[in-house]
Amino acid sequence: MSATNTEQPAVLNTRSVVGLAVCAVIALVGIFVIPTLREPAGGFNTLFWTMAALELLAMVGVVYFVLNLHEEPS
Amino acid sequence: MDPIALQAGYDLLGDGRPETLWLGIGTLLMLIGTFYFLVRGWGVTDKDAREYYAVTILVPGIASAAYLSMFFGIGLTEVTVGGEMLDIYYARYADWLFTTPLLLLDLALLAKVDRVTIGTLVGVDALMIVTGLIGALSHTAIARYSWWLFSTICMIVVLYFLATSLRSAAKERGPEVASTFNTLTALVLVLWTAYPILWIIGTEGAGVVGLGIETLLFMVLDVTAKVGFGFILLRSRAILGDTEAPEPSAGADVSAAD
Repeated sequence: MSATNTEQPAVLNTRSVVGLAVCAVIALVGIFVIPTLREPAGGFNTLFWTMAALELLAMVGVVYFVLNLHEEPS
Repeated sequence: MDPIALQAGYDLLGDGRPETLWLGIGTLLMLIGTFYFLVRGWGVTDKDAREYYAVTILVPGIASAAYLSMFFGIGLTEVTVGGEMLDIYYARYADWLFTTPLLLLDLALLAKVDRVTIGTLVGVDALMIVTGLIGALSHTAIARYSWWLFSTICMIVVLYFLATSLRSAAKERGPEVASTFNTLTALVLVLWTAYPILWIIGTEGAGVVGLGIETLLFMVLDVTAKVGFGFILLRSRAILGDTEAPEPSAGADVSAAD
């Protein structure tokens, strides 16, 4: 096993697991936001940067939640 | 001759886009990679391995959605450059904005670097993609090439970080980790360097290569950089340990020794 492996299985942080799932959904929404909202929301550039912001947000969220995926031992 | 006949590919949807063949294959390969990593990671209890799996499953998962959107033509727009209309597959950039920092996160987790280093690496990578996005939307050749240069410089900074400070950190974690890290870094160095070259010779740059060939090459690069990367990482002894890894990590003796 990896260098920092412990004897007891690590306890997952439920909040981080939910956070990862939410980030995955945000990333998916980002990909499909332009074709979905192009008509009502107007300009392509606005939607394009909305898409980029959503992808960035989802990516930062994944990084944060992966780094906090396990409960700290009390 | 029909211009479409000059393009590599096959128009699967009958909408005049021969590159749909490559986009369809890309979607399938990304999906296969996602499910392979999911099945392989199911029930893993090791703390570190769970983190690698969480990141590595998300990368081809989101890429497959981006490829599917491009396959159906909804991840596509047109940009006027010098009076000429260019087809831009913008979903590609959405994919890269999400996935390339996560590939770097995998390497950072492997090297066990501190959070400031991870933040710096991810930040420069995001800047690399965002400046590429600005270039893709620019309407003049000079603006497009300027943003391409800025983005390429950011990429060089990221690759330099990988080859120096992260490599040193990985080396301190032992020969198996150093070996896996060196293999993955070599893969990233080669593949990521090919992206700006393909962009500059492709339809968004000088137009030397047609959209069909360009889409094929991007698909090969994307699948190798995401699924191939994950395959090497998750099958390495650095992740699995001596008893579970199917074979020794590539170049363990040579790479770890230097």
